[in-house]
Amino acid sequence: MPNRDMSFIELSARERARRILDQGSFRELLDPFEKITSPWLEPQGIVPEFDDGMVVAKGKFNGKPTVIIAIEGVFQGGSMGEVSGAKMAAALELAAEDNRSGIATQALLLFETGGVRLQEANLGLAAIADIHSAIVDLRRYVPVIGITAGTVGCFGGMSIAAGLCSYLVVTREARLGLNGPQVIEQEAGIEEYNSRDRPFIWSMTGGEVRYKNGFADIIVKDSVNDVKTAIIQCMNKGLPDTLRSDDYDYYLQKLNAIDTSKQADATLVKNIFGRGDRK
Amino acid sequence: MLANLKSNRAWDSRLNEKKRRCNAVNKLANGKVLATDSFVEALEKLIVAGDRVVLEGNNQKQADFLARKLSQVDPNIIHNLHMLMPSIGLPEHLDIFEKGIAKKLDFSFSGTQSLRISQLLADHILEIGAIHTYIELYARLFVDLIPNVALVAAYKADRNGNLYTGPSTEDTPSIVEATAFKNGIVIAQVNELVDDEADLPRVDIPASWVDFVVVADKPFFIEPLFTRDPRLIKPIHVLMGMMAIKGIYAKHQVKSLNHGIGFNTAAIELLLPTYGEQLGLKGKICQHWALNPHPTLIPAIECGWVETVHCFGGELGMEKYMAARPDIFFTGHDGSMRSNRTLCQLAGQYGVDMFVGSTLQVDGLGNSSTVTHGRLSGFGGAPNMGHDPHGRRHATSAWLDMMQSQNPVDRGHKLVVQMVETFQAGAKPTFVEQLDAVEVGKESDMPIAPVMIYGDDITHVLTEEGIAYLYQAKSLEERRAMVAAVAGITDIGLGVDSKRVAQFRKEGKVAFPQDLGIQPTQAQRSLLAANSIADLVEWSDGLYDPPARFKSW
Repeated sequence: MPNRDMSFIELSARERARRILDQGSFRELLDPFEKITSPWLEPQGIVPEFDDGMVVAKGKFNGKPTVIIAIEGVFQGGSMGEVSGAKMAAALELAAEDNRSGIATQALLLFETGGVRLQEANLGLAAIADIHSAIVDLRRYVPVIGITAGTVGCFGGMSIAAGLCSYLVVTREARLGLNGPQVIEQEAGIEEYNSRDRPFIWSMTGGEVRYKNGFADIIVKDSVNDVKTAIIQCMNKGLPDTLRSDDYDYYLQKLNAIDTSKQADATLVKNIFGRGDRK
Repeated sequence: MLANLKSNRAWDSRLNEKKRRCNAVNKLANGKVLATDSFVEALEKLIVAGDRVVLEGNNQKQADFLARKLSQVDPNIIHNLHMLMPSIGLPEHLDIFEKGIAKKLDFSFSGTQSLRISQLLADHILEIGAIHTYIELYARLFVDLIPNVALVAAYKADRNGNLYTGPSTEDTPSIVEATAFKNGIVIAQVNELVDDEADLPRVDIPASWVDFVVVADKPFFIEPLFTRDPRLIKPIHVLMGMMAIKGIYAKHQVKSLNHGIGFNTAAIELLLPTYGEQLGLKGKICQHWALNPHPTLIPAIECGWVETVHCFGGELGMEKYMAARPDIFFTGHDGSMRSNRTLCQLAGQYGVDMFVGSTLQVDGLGNSSTVTHGRLSGFGGAPNMGHDPHGRRHATSAWLDMMQSQNPVDRGHKLVVQMVETFQAGAKPTFVEQLDAVEVGKESDMPIAPVMIYGDDITHVLTEEGIAYLYQAKSLEERRAMVAAVAGITDIGLGVDSKRVAQFRKEGKVAFPQDLGIQPTQAQRSLLAANSIADLVEWSDGLYDPPARFKSW
C-alpha cells in the first residue's frame, strides 16, 4: 500500500497540532469550550464555530517548550477574522514575552488560509498586521517555522506572514501566493490567469515551484513524520543567517526587471527566481 | 393466388436513395475521405430534411466535430431532423434544435444540458420522442427508429474506412450496425487518418460498414465522467459504504455487480481493501464487475479483490493502467482496452447480481427519479441495470437470497439498491410524498411519468440512518413504513412510529448501523485505501495518468 505514513493534509488543524507536538504534551489555549466566537458571522447568516477556526496550543516539540498555532482551512477557508486573528497574534506576542523573560519558547505556524475574512474586513486586516509585527518580533529570539500543506494553501496577507517566517515548509499540494487564482482571474482576466487551469496554477504557486524558486525552504511528502523531521531540521539550523524578508534589495531588483507586457508563465518565473541547486 | 394483393412497391428504395446521396458528394470526397473544410456542404448533400440521424454523443466520447458541423448546415435545406442521441453532453447538441435544423429528440441521458433541454421543451422548440434507457434506444434503432444517417467518432481510420475506436468504442458498433445494414449512411469523424490498415492498432469497425470518414479539426471531446476525487469523499459516505459492505454485499454474498458514479460507491470501492479486508471478505464478494474504469477501483484491483471488469466506455487517464492489466480488463490484440456499451448494459442487466445507484428523489414506495422541476436529465443505464430482468434464469446465491415465498415455481430477484442521503444539498429532502417527475411528465405531455427506477424493483434502500430490506416487505403498506424507517427527519421519515421501527429492527427488516455492529464514529476518511488522486496514481505504480483538472500538485 502506498503512503502508509499518516497523511498530514488529511488531518484537521487540531489533529495536526496534536500530532506534531510530543505525545501527551498538547494543551489547548482558548479551546472551543471557552466559546470565544466571532460576533460578526451570525448577523451575516454564517454559522460561527467556537474556536473561530484557530487552534492555539502549548506543548513540547522535541522536548522543548513550544507554542503551535494552526488555522483550520475547512472553516470559512481558513480566513482571518477579528477573533481568530487576535488569537494568533496574542499567542505570538506572548511567546516573544516568554523568550524575553528567559523562557525559550519555539513557535510553529500551520497555515491553511485564504487570508483576511471578508465578512470582518478591516478587523481581520488589523489582526494580520499584528501577526506580521509579532512574527518579526519573535523571530529575533527563536526560529519561527511556518508550514503550509494544502489543500487550502496560504494566500492574501497571510502569505506575507509565511514570507516573514524564519523557515517555511511546504508539500507539493500546497500553494503560496498573494492573490488566489479566482481573484487574479477576476481582476486581470481569464487570458492572464485561468483559475480552472490547475496545472497552470500549480506551476506558478504550487509547493514544488515555490521551493525550487527559493520561496520555501523544505519540501516534504504528505506525511506527519516527514513534516516533523523537517521541523527538526529547521530548529537545528537555529536563527537563519539572512531572512528572506531582509533580502528585499535582491528581490526588488528582480521584480523591477520584469517585463510586465509579457504574459507570465512558469518558465519566466523560473528564469527570474529559479535556484539551480533545487531540482 | 392473391396476386392482386401483392404490393407494387420498389424493394430497394433505401439503397437507391443511399446511392443517390453518395454520388452527390463525389466531388467533395477522395474515395471515402471527405475534406474537412467543405464538410458542411457534404453534410447538406448526405442528409435530407426529415431524416432520422444518430449523433454519437455518448456518456464519455462525443462526436463533437460532427455536432458542430451539423449545427452549421443551412436550415432552409436541412430541417425537421429527428435526432437519436444516446447522451447529450455538449451545447452544440442543442444548438441544432434552436436553429431549426432538428425538431424531435430521442435520448437517454443529458448531464450538463438537462436544464436547457427542459427550457427548449417548454418553449416548444424541441419535441421529445421518449427518454430511453441506453439499450432500449439501441434496440429501437433496429425496430422503428432505424437511422438514415449515423454520425460517429473514432480515434483513427485508414483510407478504406476501417475504424479504431479502442478504449472508447462505447456505442459505436451498435449505432453503425443499425445504420450500415439498413442502407443508411455512416460518417465517422477521426482524430487521425492513416494510409493503411496495418497502421491502425486494430480494427474495431470494419471498413465495409463505413461510408465516409472526415478528419476532425481537433480530437474528439471526452468527458472523464467517472473520476471521483477521493478528497471529496466525506465521513458520511464512508459510513454508508461500511453499511453497504456489511449489511448488503456480505450478507447476500454479492459476487457480481455494477456501481453508479456517486461518492457513495466510490467510498465502497476504496473501503474494500481496508474495511472489507478486516471483515475477511476478499474472494467472497465483488469479484466480477460491469463497470466503467473507475480510478477509485484501482486499490481493490491491486489488492486482488477484482477478477474481471467489463466496461461501457473508457475513462481518461486509465488507458495505460488497463492495458497493463489484461487479466482484469477486456483488451484487443494491440493491448488497448475495448469497451462496448450495449454489451456491458446487457451484462449489467442479466449478468450481475446487484445494481447500486443513487438518485435525487425517492417517494414513499421507493419509486425514484433524477428528473426534478426544470431539470430533464434522462437516466442513462440506470433503469436498465436498476430493474429485475424477468428473463433471467441462472441462479446465484445472492439472487436466490431475495426469494421470499415457498411457491415451488418462484424465482430469485436481482438486488437493486438505492443509496441516498436523506437530504440533498440545500436541505432538499430526498424522500418526498410525490416525485417531481409526476408533474414534469404531465406538463410535458409525456404518456408516463419519467420514473428512473420503479419501487417494485428496489430490494434495498440505504441511507445514513439505516438499511431497509424492502424485498422482505409483506405488503405495500409495510414497504412504505420500511422506507420511512430509514428516511430520517424528512416528512416521509416522520410518518412512522418508533415502536414499528423497533419491531422492523427486531425482525431484521430494517438495520441501523449499530445493528450491524458499526459505530458512526468509526466512519473516518482514514479508512479509505486512497485519500487523494495522487494516492491513486501511486497505487497504480504511475500507470494512471489523471486529467489535469484532477491534479493538485
